[in-house]
Parts: sequence; C-alpha cells; structure tokens
Amino acid sequence: MSEAVRPGALAAPARLAVGLRVAVFARLLALQASWNHQRMQNLGLLVCLMPWLRARPRDPERDRLFCRRYFEFFNTNPYLAGYVVGGLLRLETEREDAGGLPRGQAQVFRDSLARAFASLGDQLFWLGLRPTVALAGCVLALTGQAWPVVGLGAAVAAGQLAWRWHALGRGYAAGYDIVGLLGDPRWHRAIAGAKRAVRVLAGLAAGWLLRHAWEGSAQVGAAPGAFVAVVVVALALPAVVRRRWAGEFLVLATGLLALLLAFALGPKGS
Amino acid sequence: MTPVDLVAGVTGAHWALVGWLSLLAGLLALDETAFAQTWLSQPLAAATLAGLLCGHPELGLAVGLPLQLALVMNLPVGQSLTGEASVAAVAVVGGAVLAGSVPAALGGFHGAVGGAPAGAPAGDLALAGWLLLGAALLSLAGHPLVQAERRLHLVWMLQGRRTLRDGSLARVDRIHGRCLVATMLRGAVTGGAGVLAVAGLWVPAYGALPGAVGRALAWVPVLAAALGLGAVFERYGVARHWGWVGAGVVAGWVLGVLT
Repeated sequence: MSEAVRPGALAAPARLAVGLRVAVFARLLALQASWNHQRMQNLGLLVCLMPWLRARPRDPERDRLFCRRYFEFFNTNPYLAGYVVGGLLRLETEREDAGGLPRGQAQVFRDSLARAFASLGDQLFWLGLRPTVALAGCVLALTGQAWPVVGLGAAVAAGQLAWRWHALGRGYAAGYDIVGLLGDPRWHRAIAGAKRAVRVLAGLAAGWLLRHAWEGSAQVGAAPGAFVAVVVVALALPAVVRRRWAGEFLVLATGLLALLLAFALGPKGS
Repeated sequence: MTPVDLVAGVTGAHWALVGWLSLLAGLLALDETAFAQTWLSQPLAAATLAGLLCGHPELGLAVGLPLQLALVMNLPVGQSLTGEASVAAVAVVGGAVLAGSVPAALGGFHGAVGGAPAGAPAGDLALAGWLLLGAALLSLAGHPLVQAERRLHLVWMLQGRRTLRDGSLARVDRIHGRCLVATMLRGAVTGGAGVLAVAGLWVPAYGALPGAVGRALAWVPVLAAALGLGAVFERYGVARHWGWVGAGVVAGWVLGVLT
C-alpha cells in the first residue's frame, strides 16, 4: 500500500519527454472513443495514460493497481482534458519510486479537476467558441464560396490541436499547481468575449436573412412585407415559447409551419 | 428515379462516389465525438466537404447553411437528443448529386432544379427545403443508432474489468480501438445507406409532391434558419445585449445589400 505524500514533495522531470507527449497527445484526441453512459470517459483516460505505463518495465501488480486507479468514472471537457491528463502524469512520475500514486489522492485530484474543467469547457467551448465558429462559418458561406468555409474548418482544427498539445504540456509542468490556473481571469474574459461574438454574428446572420427575405419574397410567392414579418416572428418565436428543442425538431416544425403559411400568404391565399 | 432504377442505373463511377461519401461520413462520425472533435463535423462543414467531393460545392452550401443555422444550438450541454447531423448532411448532399438534382441556395445564387413539382417556381428554394427536411429526419434516425453504439461501448468497457485482475494492458487498448472502429463503421454504413435512400426515394418523391406543397417547401430554408437564430437569441439574451445584436443586424443587412 503506498503512503500519502505531500503535493510536489518528490522530484520529476520538468517536461514530458517528446515521444511520450506525442503518444499521449494522439490518444488524448480519442478520449471519448469509448464513451459510455456508466463511466463516461474512464477507458479513454486509462488509454491516454497507458504510454507512460508502457514506458516502464512490466510489473503485473503495479499495472493492475494503476488500471484500478483510473478505471473509475471520469468525465471532463475533451478540449481541456490535457490539463488533467498532464497533471496526473506528473503526479504519477513524482510518486513512481514511492509505490505509485495512492488511489484516494489520484481520485481527488482527477475528480475535482475534471469537474472544474468540465464546467469551464461547457462555458468556453460548447456555449462560447463552438457557436461562434458555426456562425462565423455561416457568415463566410453567405459569400457563396465553399473554400472560406473549409479554410475556417481547417484553421479551427489546427488551432484546437495546438491548444490541446499545449494543455498537455502545461498540465504536466504545473502538476498540483494546475489548480492556480483555474483562477486565471482570462478564462472568464474569453467566455464573455465568445458569447458577445455569438450575439454579433447571430445578429449579422439575422440581418442578412431579413434583407434577403425582403428581396427574395418572390421565390416563395409572398408579399415582401409579409415575408419579412414572418421571418421576424420566427426569430422571436423561441424566446416567446421558451422551449429549447433540438434543431432537427425545429426543421420539422418549420415544414408544417411553411405549409400553413404558404396557403395563408401565398399567391392563392393572398 | 426509383430505387430499382437507381441500383440498375448507377455506374461504377457512381458506386465509387457512394464509397467516398461513406468514407467521409465515417470520418465525420468519428470527428463528432470519438476522435479529435474538430469543427469539420458540423453540418455546414460536413455538407460543404460532401459538396466538394461530389464536384458541387454550391449544393453543399445550399443544404449546409440553413441546416447549420437551424442546428446551431444543438450543443452537447444537457442535450437529450444525439442526432447524426454530419452523416445526414453528407447523405443528403451526396444523394441529391446522385439523383441529378441541385437546389438553389439560401438567398441568391440559383441552381437548376431537377424534377420540381408542378407549380414550384423555377430556381426556387423548394428542393433545398425538401432536402433540409430529409436531413432532419435522417439525423433523428441516427439517434437510436448512436445510443445503441454507446450501450455496446458499456458492454465492452465492462469487459475491461478483467484487466483489473490480470493487469493486461493490451485488452484495454483493444477495447478502445474496437469502439473507434464501431463508430467509423456506423457512420460509413448509415452514410452510404442514407445517400442511396435520398437518391432513390427522397429526391424522386419531391417530383411527385403537389404544387402547393412544393411552394410551401420554399419557405423551409428561410424559416428553419430564422428559428435557429431565434434559438440563439433565446439562449444568449437580446434585451440586455441589444447593442451588440443590433450592430450585427445592421451589418448583416448591409452585407445582404452587397452580396
């Protein structure tokens, strides 16, 4: 049974070896491959940490205990998981000669960081950057050219890969000090900025849509004013109804709505 | 084109295209959750890539733009539905190309409409609306498949408990790799089947629609996009941030004048 150790008391190399970092990074990209409803990313986390374990001489008992430590429930934001994985590798390296990381210590570090980064990731990535990029892509698509959209996709992919590479190294370098990183005010500034960008870009797309509703009403056989009014109502409807439906249901509901409107406002109805 | 005509009439080049589209759908299914999670599996990027693969990027944009706007608030935060929007986007774009139908895009550049219902205005948005409905249905149909795959992951993951007894690291790697392959196969198979279903059933059904329905379909891309943007305003709030939203609306109107 390994003993508890004071955080940061044991020595470990300041950086991850490049080969190990590449191997962990590649597996980090597939963190969610075996996502399941019971333990979520547990197997993904274990697979990410495996290159570190494989770099050591085989010891079935040590391997068994290592797997047991990381087979439990784990869930965090995939873009920020590098910080947690890097931190765990640092802790494991520090405790390598002292019988390995105690299970409780690994659990507390893993679970508390995973929760904090999941919450941060929800706000920054899922509610901030993802809609921002989606709407920026839509604005680029308004030009009618495909390549700017693909270019944006490639740039975002490259950017997030670079971010995840950096997160892994930063997590390892910080170890226990990663907790301090969570208090950085830049996270919250970035979240606020991304949400502001969402509002501006959504407004931009709405303005473009209204303009083309005015111009393109002939395409749907309605008067320009009526078509614009319908688009304004559609823009306001979710806020009035206050129900959050999946987009697929919005599209299907639109089919029914369109049928009614075409009869009411179209050439035969008007 | 009926399904029988489709299967009988497709050439080797068409089957090759179905194969490439299946591969793209498989890769995008991986990208959606299992691997990398870049932005390329979002509906707009997926449809655009499928359009480029088929040599019709404008079709990718015509389907992808309204689909992306409608689905922009499909976020993996507290969601209860896990559709397969990227696979659906690829299937709809590929199916339309295979059936020889290219719709008009939202707001301007016009394409030829193949087999439009009687009464639907030429060069209209009706086919885009029909394809959008098809994409939504295909995406919804993917939900039970995704859930079934996740239940399978659970079964496999629990097999990994044996490693806790014998310390076999290779077993864990194998299980994880099996999950990746399962996701890729699910995307590729549903993508290929979707392409054939759209080309053989969905697009031919468009030509048989009554004219009034065809006219109504032209509303779908615009209204779906507006409802999607409305969902953004609902979640992010307009009242407290009217300045930013208003600036965007004005800029968008000017952009609309210029484009």
